[in-house]
Amino acid sequence: MAQSPGRISLAPARGTLSVFEIALLVLCLVLVVAPIPQNLQDIIVLTFLWAGLATAWNIAGGYTGLISFGHAAFFGIGAYTSTILLVRMNVTPWVGIWCGGLLAAFCGAILAVICVRLRGPFFILSTLAAAEVIRIAALNWSSLTGGPEGLAISPAADPVNMVFASKHAYLALMLGYLLLSYALTKLIDGSRYGYYLFAARDDEDAASAAGVNPLAVRTVALMLSAALTGIGGSLFAQYFLYLDPTFVISPEVSFQFALLPAVGGLGTAIGPVLGSFLITPMSELLRSYLGSKVAGLHLAIYSALLIVVVLYFPSGIAGALSGLSRRKGGKS
Amino acid sequence: MLEVENLDAFYGQIHVLHGVSLSIKAGDIVGLVGANAAGKSTLMYSLAGLRTTCAGKIRLKNEAIEDMPTHERVRRGLVLVPERRRLFPFMTVLENLQIGAYSDGARALAHQTMREVFELLPTLSERRTQLAGSLSGGEQQMVAIGRALMAKPQVLLLDEPTEGLAPIYVKLLFELITSLRALGITVLIVEQNIHHVLQTADRAYVLENGRIVLEGSGRALLNDERLKVAYLGL
Repeated sequence: MAQSPGRISLAPARGTLSVFEIALLVLCLVLVVAPIPQNLQDIIVLTFLWAGLATAWNIAGGYTGLISFGHAAFFGIGAYTSTILLVRMNVTPWVGIWCGGLLAAFCGAILAVICVRLRGPFFILSTLAAAEVIRIAALNWSSLTGGPEGLAISPAADPVNMVFASKHAYLALMLGYLLLSYALTKLIDGSRYGYYLFAARDDEDAASAAGVNPLAVRTVALMLSAALTGIGGSLFAQYFLYLDPTFVISPEVSFQFALLPAVGGLGTAIGPVLGSFLITPMSELLRSYLGSKVAGLHLAIYSALLIVVVLYFPSGIAGALSGLSRRKGGKS
Repeated sequence: MLEVENLDAFYGQIHVLHGVSLSIKAGDIVGLVGANAAGKSTLMYSLAGLRTTCAGKIRLKNEAIEDMPTHERVRRGLVLVPERRRLFPFMTVLENLQIGAYSDGARALAHQTMREVFELLPTLSERRTQLAGSLSGGEQQMVAIGRALMAKPQVLLLDEPTEGLAPIYVKLLFELITSLRALGITVLIVEQNIHHVLQTADRAYVLENGRIVLEGSGRALLNDERLKVAYLGL
């Protein structure tokens, strides 16, 4: 009997940590404290942030089968909530990020009530449309969001405002966020609620017949995913210190959320992390080395690499790695 | 226990059931037989609240349930074991069983129910950490019934439970159904295996082209010439 993509040997039993995961964690901790050139630290900050965001998306897209192309809405809601609270009301982001997460979860619940009955492409399209509504609202509600000119956070370093001079602090912050997303994913993995989610995803009729309420378990998953994405949005705002709707709530951002888990391994805990660790540095390095020389070349190479990954690793990096370790295990 | 009155059911655009009425007494084993495409599975799905759209009345313990979603019906004690078992193959036996205890009431009793299920189906206890997909067909059917029992059913709907099973398991299964009755569970069973089911059932209904054409005690039907007509179209 083949193993499911959800039970890869990188994570041998649900809810426990593998050696691979612990080694990865140690590596991340080293990257946080190691003296690395600033431009590389920037890339690592983004890698951690995107890994956390991809992990958050995966709770809906991978674990629940709710493929959303509208998570940029939750990202934007989180980013704008904490930033508006800081800029307009002087509320510290240490409080604001949780407010952003809560508001995103609330919006996730509304989206769930409206869309979670829809299947496949219909759900995807409705999430895309919902994100557009939020983007247009943010563009036009200038008194609150600053409209197309955007919102800027004062760059003066102040830990109370969650603005730091040292990249190490941002690295620690983003790693903390990644660990929060990852820990929640692992909790779901090992919990009864996780079985309900997988059951409703894999065979809705059978899950219903067994007594599971598929709409309820999906709604909770979407809220959790939205909340984590909102928190990630706040952290993004604190790092870039500038927000504008066209970038923050763009379909490109939504696609990126979906792309990283797809490359890393959909529906596995480690997949989105591996996806970000591969894709984010690759795209950033290509852009910084090639972007200034031949316009568009970095995008062409990036796309070509993506095609290779999708063609040769259809179940993602996590799937390919677990296949490899299974083959080794079989020989010994 | 379970009353069905004038049930019409549609599968997409297709009108499958026409004015079906059933009355099932508490503690009975009731068989539902009929040729292929007579509407047996559609009736089971309609009772469970899955897939079909229905008109008519379904009452469980005198409560109207026809407008309830499936999980609400399960919570009230009406549980379907679907055709072809429909386990979650990449989960262990234990995890499959746990999914059955979703409602608050069932979850509170889950540990005790699990012990009872293992007493009733000792093979499951031995296989509890195996992936459900790696079990034999007969064992999988036991898991499917075990999963349904975890929901603390009062009425169990079994849709073709012996399909594809070795004869030894068919025999075991009917013994199991008899012991379920002893536990006070009412059973409605759809079966191709007409001799077994009519010998075991207290009552039986014969479905033909979406209509109930015959009903009576199981043994009486077994000797009824009209059954052959309904079944074989002779």
